[in-house]
Amino acid sequence: MAELTLGVFPSLVGSMSLDFSFKLAEAAMAKGHKVNFWLSGNAVMMAKKGQKAFKDYSHVEKRMKELISKGMEITVCEACAEARGYHKEDVPEGMKRASMDWYLAKTVKTDRLLHIGGE
Amino acid sequence: MKLAVFLSDLRRTEDTYERLKAEKLGVILVENGIYHAVMKEGGKDSPVLSKAGATFYALSDDLETRGFTAANVNPKVKVVSYGDIVDLVMNEYEKTAWL
Repeated sequence: MAELTLGVFPSLVGSMSLDFSFKLAEAAMAKGHKVNFWLSGNAVMMAKKGQKAFKDYSHVEKRMKELISKGMEITVCEACAEARGYHKEDVPEGMKRASMDWYLAKTVKTDRLLHIGGE
Repeated sequence: MKLAVFLSDLRRTEDTYERLKAEKLGVILVENGIYHAVMKEGGKDSPVLSKAGATFYALSDDLETRGFTAANVNPKVKVVSYGDIVDLVMNEYEKTAWL
């Protein structure tokens, strides 16, 4: 088993790359790899609790919790979150916030890194 | 360096793309990037597929989402699944880039 870290930057709503990120993570975990998500930029908003699930909008809270239960680590860029009015108390259970140092450390330690761009 | 480059858009990215050099280069076409694998421009293949020495892949899910099958794909390009991409990234290439 190896470790794959995904730096995820796409927006919660209206981005194809978000779906790609999840499907790649699921495929990697199905093969026994450890997967980490670093949510940064507009992607931090996918890890804010209390979001309403509209029919035609991305809603990934349930999907993220399933992956967390299987061992995926999800960490949110705290500066990106605070800049968007998303505070510590808004973080869903099982996820955490950290400074960019967390991601920098992962880029060194992880076996593979894929930085998935935003818009 | 063994580098896997993800191309996620049809728009021209040649400036960056053409500068990329690697001992081993894989180009993985995803999202709207898959159009490079199925479309012709003036009867010619997409310039993306002219990258010397590169190996080309296209994600099957993203082809099917856009109404294409493996039969529509340029013979230079291998159709792959998400699981195949995991294997490429973890076993065949050391570094990745997203364009």
